[in-house]
Amino acid sequence: MKLKTWMKSALAVGALMSLTTGALADGMLRYATVGEPPSLDQQVVTSDLATTIAHHMFEGLYTFNGSNAPVPLLASGETVSEDGKTIVIGLRKGVQFHNGQAMTSADVLASLQRWGEFGSRGSLIFDHVDSVEATGDYEITLKLKEPFGPWKNLMAFINGGPAIYPASVVTGATKEPIAPENYIGTGPYKFNAWEANRYVELVSFDGYASPDGKADGYGGARVADFDTLRFIPVPDVGTRVAGVRAGDYDYAESIPGDLFAELDADAGVKTMLNGGPIFGLVFLNSSDGPLKENFALRRAIQTAIDKTPALQVAIGPEGLWRANGSFAPQGSVWATTSGTENYSKGDAEAAKSMAAAAGYDGQPIKFMVSTNYPFHYDSAIVYTKQLAQAGFNIDLQVYDWATLIEKRAQPDQWDLFFTHHGFVPDPILISVMNDNYPGWWATPEKKALKDRFTASSDPAERQAIWGEIQALIYEQVPTMKTGDVYTYNIASPKLSGLGEQTLIWPSFWNVSK
Amino acid sequence: MLAYTVKRLFTLIPTLLAASILVFLFVHLIPGDPAAILLGDTATPEEIAQLSAEMGFDRPLWIQYFLWLGNVLQGDLGISIFFREPVLAVIGSGAETSILLASMTMFWIILIGLPIGVLSATKHGTWVDQITSSGAMLAASMPTFWLGLYLIMIFSVTLGWFPSSGFPSLSDDGGITNLRYLILPSLTLAAPNAALIVRLVRASMLDVAREDHVRTARAKGLHPARVTIKHVFRNALIAVAAAFGFTFAALISEAVVTETVFSLPGIGRLVVQSILRRDYPVIQGVILVIVVLYMIINLLVDLAYARLDPRVSLK
Repeated sequence: MKLKTWMKSALAVGALMSLTTGALADGMLRYATVGEPPSLDQQVVTSDLATTIAHHMFEGLYTFNGSNAPVPLLASGETVSEDGKTIVIGLRKGVQFHNGQAMTSADVLASLQRWGEFGSRGSLIFDHVDSVEATGDYEITLKLKEPFGPWKNLMAFINGGPAIYPASVVTGATKEPIAPENYIGTGPYKFNAWEANRYVELVSFDGYASPDGKADGYGGARVADFDTLRFIPVPDVGTRVAGVRAGDYDYAESIPGDLFAELDADAGVKTMLNGGPIFGLVFLNSSDGPLKENFALRRAIQTAIDKTPALQVAIGPEGLWRANGSFAPQGSVWATTSGTENYSKGDAEAAKSMAAAAGYDGQPIKFMVSTNYPFHYDSAIVYTKQLAQAGFNIDLQVYDWATLIEKRAQPDQWDLFFTHHGFVPDPILISVMNDNYPGWWATPEKKALKDRFTASSDPAERQAIWGEIQALIYEQVPTMKTGDVYTYNIASPKLSGLGEQTLIWPSFWNVSK
Repeated sequence: MLAYTVKRLFTLIPTLLAASILVFLFVHLIPGDPAAILLGDTATPEEIAQLSAEMGFDRPLWIQYFLWLGNVLQGDLGISIFFREPVLAVIGSGAETSILLASMTMFWIILIGLPIGVLSATKHGTWVDQITSSGAMLAASMPTFWLGLYLIMIFSVTLGWFPSSGFPSLSDDGGITNLRYLILPSLTLAAPNAALIVRLVRASMLDVAREDHVRTARAKGLHPARVTIKHVFRNALIAVAAAFGFTFAALISEAVVTETVFSLPGIGRLVVQSILRRDYPVIQGVILVIVVLYMIINLLVDLAYARLDPRVSLK
């Protein structure tokens, strides 16, 4: 009798469990992420994962359309004076923050000031800014010291960019990321919860004031079709893939290349290629050690390396990588072949002679790489072998990412280190253009070209100068581009509105299930 | 027993103090800066140093230690650098998953391990023993990530019986039925541990079965099942009890692989992720809690010994 009662109870619980397994709300998008973002404060954090989540909540004055051209988002438009030094930006009226407060120029001013002083990419503009003022309730005026061509691209790039917060949140904020309770933006989704180790959850914002126009890239109308966006950390890639196949997740990011053919052929999963490729970079130390100011030795190292085998080993299927020496991907207005004849020579004998001529006597060259990113490590193993064949004594030092970041800040700790870079819409945003980025490339030739590049507002002239800068990179070798890597994500076929490719970060306004 | 328990609880204090120093030193001596992790790859050394100073990591290590210790003595383990939440809340969130996972795993271990261990011992040398021993070896040798992924492929992707990963809290929508999220992970984690318990029960019972009091019981004409349960199994439990205690503690702190494969928000994954992020307050807090947990379980095992074996006296 007791056994029968126990069995009945077990069957009842089982039935209840199976019922609730299927009862998943269609109003929720479940996104399997590789981990958790360090913070969602867009002004200071440049993690791509943070932007993937946060650009649903926070908006800037501009954003990018499908052709990666900047278009107004919170701005209504702008006028630029003839000398290019005064920029008056109009703001859209009727925009509300998630706390119900109306957005005015006071909020924009406070946000730009904090970004200019503490934002990750703020100094790129604010080094050229004389003053920024609210010249009306819905008007901001930037006065520049000299004309600065890339200002709108920098304003439109939300990753480490000028997200607009309420003045009450951002006034007095410093470099330390703002706390989750202050995640108040103007986007179509608002912050709801961050359960440590479980999920970050956003919910649709009823008071959202969408920009007008047909949706195009990140520009145009935005509609929040989901009630909830839930970003769930799922570190194991096998689990992310199985989760989408089982219907437990609607979208999963960062899937390795070796699964591409299988998943692309699977009708139960949609593969989403990222249109903006990431690219690996090996930085060379311009501040200390044997490579400092020895451009001939750096060119010898560059000559020794053939990038294609490393891409084959590290990434896999050919559709997911391109041995492209241009720092901008093919199809971009910034793509240029200047200097790329030196991109991937892989000539060990020539490299050996060049190294000898440069005075290299076999001293160890410290090459730092992290296993946190398998494609860094796999590529570094191939490069180390190629460099050894050319007579270089490479001391490969393998660290976790946190250790590598600390060590690369110390010029005496390394000669080469491997990292990667996300797609950026303007070359000024590439880390090698920053004189203070580890590697510390700041030669007079670079400065002269960079000054011309930033002073010009003429697109054709800027493209031509960028070609000269890229040629200089191949001549002075502050960094070596390893190739374009087209990462991809997978989605449930039930999702509609995703388009064929992801622009830079996946976005889920105008997407439904 | 009460005096013994109180005395043992007092010995926790110097042990915890020593553990706190070791944990603090180890955590701060490994290279890496939480400010660098927070700011990302494009941050310059100057920006990292500025944020590091804002967070107080530029102070001498001993000052940081005593500030932290002072707060710990008041029950405050600090604020997570990464989550911006009190460390106790972060640990509490992971503890729910870990305790439930460990409990469900123990349930499977007891349900599977004990009966099969007893069966294997009572059928010692027969084909039943051969099969159960081989099965136990197989289960003990299977990597948990491999078993976990296969269980997901079969029971989640193909059959759709269980969720593939994650674990919503019991206080979330679904309530008690959210336990279904833990069925596959607990079975994964139980497989190697149940196999060890099978081997342990079998070996302990065979040892006890050779002792004089068992021979006497049989000579008295007691029913074989009574001899097995009351005289052999009960005495064999003394060794098994210690294994249960430490298995439970290990299940809470060391289930990293299973938590990663099934994407469970448990303590094991929390501590590994916190090390990668250099979230010092969380690492220190979790390790301290684990140390306390091991010490309490050690005490409970000793008390259980006394209960199971009257010859053991607690002083």
